[in-house]
Amino acid sequence: MTAWLFIAPAAIAYAAFVLVPLAMSFYYSFLRWDGIGEARFHGLTNYITVLTDPKLLQIIGNAFQLVAYFTLIPVVLGLAVASVIRGHMAGPFGTATRTILFLPQVIPLVAAGIAWSWMFASTGVVNQGLRAIGMSDWARGWLGDFVWALPAVGIIGAWVLLGLCTMLLVTGITKIDPSLYEAARLDGARPWHEFRYITLPGLRQEIAVCVTLTVISALASFDIVYISTLGGPGITTTVPGLEIYRLAFAHRQVGLASALAIVLMVLVLISIAPIQWFAREKK
Amino acid sequence: MKTTLSNTLVARGLIILLMIVTLLPFIAMFSAALAPQGTYPNGLQWPADPQWGNFGRAFEVSKMDQLLLSSTLIVLGVVPVSVLIATMAGYGLAKLTTNKYKWLYLIFVFGLTLPFEAVITPLYYEVRALGLLNTRFAIILPLIGLYMPFGVYWMRAHFLNVPHDLSEAAQLDGATRWKEFWLVQVPLARPAIMSLTILLFLWTWNQFLLPVVLVQDPMQRTMAGALGAFQGQWGTDIPLLCAGALLILAPTIALFLLFQRQFVAALMQGAVKG
Amino acid sequence: MAGLTLRSVRKTYGEVPVIKGVDLDIAHGEFVVFVGPSGCGKSTLLRMIAGLEDITDGQISIGDRVVNDVEPRDRGVAMVFQSYALYPHMSVYDNVGFGLKLAGTPRDVRDRKIREAAKVLQMEHLLDRRPAQLSGGQRQRVAIGRAIVRQPDVFLFDEPLSNLDAALRGDMRMELARLHHDLDATMIYVTHDQVEAMTLADKIVVLDAGVIQQVGSPLDLYNAPANLFVAGFIGAPKMNLLPAKVEAASESGLTLSSDILAAPVVLPARGDVALGDGVTLGIRPHDLQLESNGPFRGQVQLIERLGNETIIRIALSDGIVITAALPGQGAFAIGSTIALGLRAEAAHVFDASGMRL
Repeated sequence: MTAWLFIAPAAIAYAAFVLVPLAMSFYYSFLRWDGIGEARFHGLTNYITVLTDPKLLQIIGNAFQLVAYFTLIPVVLGLAVASVIRGHMAGPFGTATRTILFLPQVIPLVAAGIAWSWMFASTGVVNQGLRAIGMSDWARGWLGDFVWALPAVGIIGAWVLLGLCTMLLVTGITKIDPSLYEAARLDGARPWHEFRYITLPGLRQEIAVCVTLTVISALASFDIVYISTLGGPGITTTVPGLEIYRLAFAHRQVGLASALAIVLMVLVLISIAPIQWFAREKK
Repeated sequence: MKTTLSNTLVARGLIILLMIVTLLPFIAMFSAALAPQGTYPNGLQWPADPQWGNFGRAFEVSKMDQLLLSSTLIVLGVVPVSVLIATMAGYGLAKLTTNKYKWLYLIFVFGLTLPFEAVITPLYYEVRALGLLNTRFAIILPLIGLYMPFGVYWMRAHFLNVPHDLSEAAQLDGATRWKEFWLVQVPLARPAIMSLTILLFLWTWNQFLLPVVLVQDPMQRTMAGALGAFQGQWGTDIPLLCAGALLILAPTIALFLLFQRQFVAALMQGAVKG
Repeated sequence: MAGLTLRSVRKTYGEVPVIKGVDLDIAHGEFVVFVGPSGCGKSTLLRMIAGLEDITDGQISIGDRVVNDVEPRDRGVAMVFQSYALYPHMSVYDNVGFGLKLAGTPRDVRDRKIREAAKVLQMEHLLDRRPAQLSGGQRQRVAIGRAIVRQPDVFLFDEPLSNLDAALRGDMRMELARLHHDLDATMIYVTHDQVEAMTLADKIVVLDAGVIQQVGSPLDLYNAPANLFVAGFIGAPKMNLLPAKVEAASESGLTLSSDILAAPVVLPARGDVALGDGVTLGIRPHDLQLESNGPFRGQVQLIERLGNETIIRIALSDGIVITAALPGQGAFAIGSTIALGLRAEAAHVFDASGMRL
């Protein structure tokens, strides 16, 4: 059938470079292998390690902590900003705004990493700002600090995603029927009520999109961490993506790396599913 | 909707604040890039003696012209092919198959949430087995495959919105499916194809993980991939590093500013539909 | 040019039968209208003739050829779609000439044919425009032009006028009639509008639930509907259908009585009835007339004055309502009592299974 001829090239490329490797990942996850020598069947040991080893658990936990920064900040801030600036985005000012806010999405993540590495340096802008407002004892080498490195990485991600989320939410807001707000105002609603009962429900889809994108970014992060901290200090900023890379290519533990990779994939799916369900409800 | 002056001021103020926050890292990098080489500039400050030459040095030292070429070659290898086969598959799934074959589409959709890390390890061995390690094809071929979930999803969504009777009219006019695809469907799909091209171009140009893992020679990588090696070599020379990073950013930003309307539209739609 | 033959044509979607055995002969040059309610299968039948749907069982022939397995483009048919299906990115000129281009027609021949078709449809001034710049009526012409230019054996129309406003519809109906006459082509036309059917067709095919109810000329269907369905479908306002019982049947006449009739009704004789049989009496609104002792007595419920005639709804006993179309602008009042009689020779009788007697 002609249909198959049309679909085949894409299907072949997808199978060859995604499905087959995925199956191989799955297969490797049951092995003990260093990538060169012999592979030994290892059963579920790798998975047990992933789910019980405190180091690996912390690494997975780091990814979820990043979600707090990558998701909460852009979405919450974006919502706040969007509900205030709706209606002010017209004309050349609006175009300039859109253009600038989208810049972080256009550059490679590693560039964002380098820019912020510089911002967070001991002689960087963040410390300069803190000193300027009299909080010099807060100044430190953020990305090398055991406590603050992960939040700092979180800030980088939040910066990358903030513009996109804000724009998505602003566009979503303009789609809400303005007469709803007018009716509410006549009914005596204050701005907070308008936000809670009109804006928020009306943005259901857009919020779902923002949350999905940002959660995937956080859980699958690699570029930003690699460039800014390489997972350090210690493993305070190591994320599963980075650890997979390290396990497979530096420590030569292909089986464990693959198990971690599969677990990561499952975690992403589990995290996204409820969001998609939540968005689908009122179609 | 009545807008008071204070409303407008607050709104504009907020927007400007956001813009400053967004631009700050760029400005910081820029000011650092102008500092004398090897020094540690103190935060954001316009240097007394702006070292514009840093950009030139960074260009030479990182062999920027070769990097540009390498990235361009990779983009040329990935994007046209990906867009073509994704469009074909999207058309096939939307117009040439019935609901009975939805499972095929769902297999593609499954790949949408797949982190590249989940397959990077086997990809390494696969690319090695194909003897393509350290070549640009190590990046080109896997990317084509990895872009299929999104590409197919995107184009199928477009073709689903094209009325069915257009295909039927073409059939009656004597078109084969292939002719109908090229003479009727593809011209109609131009906006969707444009958006897809922009998105895939961006993702390819900015691709980091694949180059870093599969290609050792920075000259065979994307510019973003080369940045990783660049940082390794000159990480301690902040001004040079910042100058180099800015240079690497320049092409995409330039293109973005030129085509910002299309880029913004593509990014927004890409997010919503993804 | 060719005629069509359909033999025992059946179509099922999965388990669901949509066309349940259709036999039809269409002569060359005929204007045939498939008419029926939504879901009766008329569009499906048309699309099977076009080759856009598979034929589950049976045979369709165009001319002498069986075309069951022939591709649409090789069947010698052209179709005008309900939504016109014009190629949005091509000019009118390219739209009309697309089929010719695909067939490899040389450019000068193509150009000539396109301009001829444009002339016939009076759209020469539109050739450079895009579909988005055209009105509904103009788009329709382009769709027809695209069909004409291929000089097919059979023209197929799928509810082409349903997207136009009422005034335009009337004009286009005349255009189509003229086109049929000028091109001397076989045309098959699908519509749910029985007025279009009555005015355009040489032959009407009435369909319901995938089965042909009756085939005949418009007047045949009007004057002698074969069953209750056709009787109720053709003619506006709808025929009044009332349950009745056979009181007396002889060679000289048939007497029917009913609880809702004030008096028995005597009609010309029909065959095949027995005393006591339940039947349905059918009488068109235009065949009722004022009659002071007439069998139809009741109260006026609704009055619609159209100027040349007045449509009245009357409630008989038992809640049954009938419609009458009386000439002129008579003085009627809602709630007043009224008595009507019928023209006996215009009455229709249907047996218990709905078939015409």
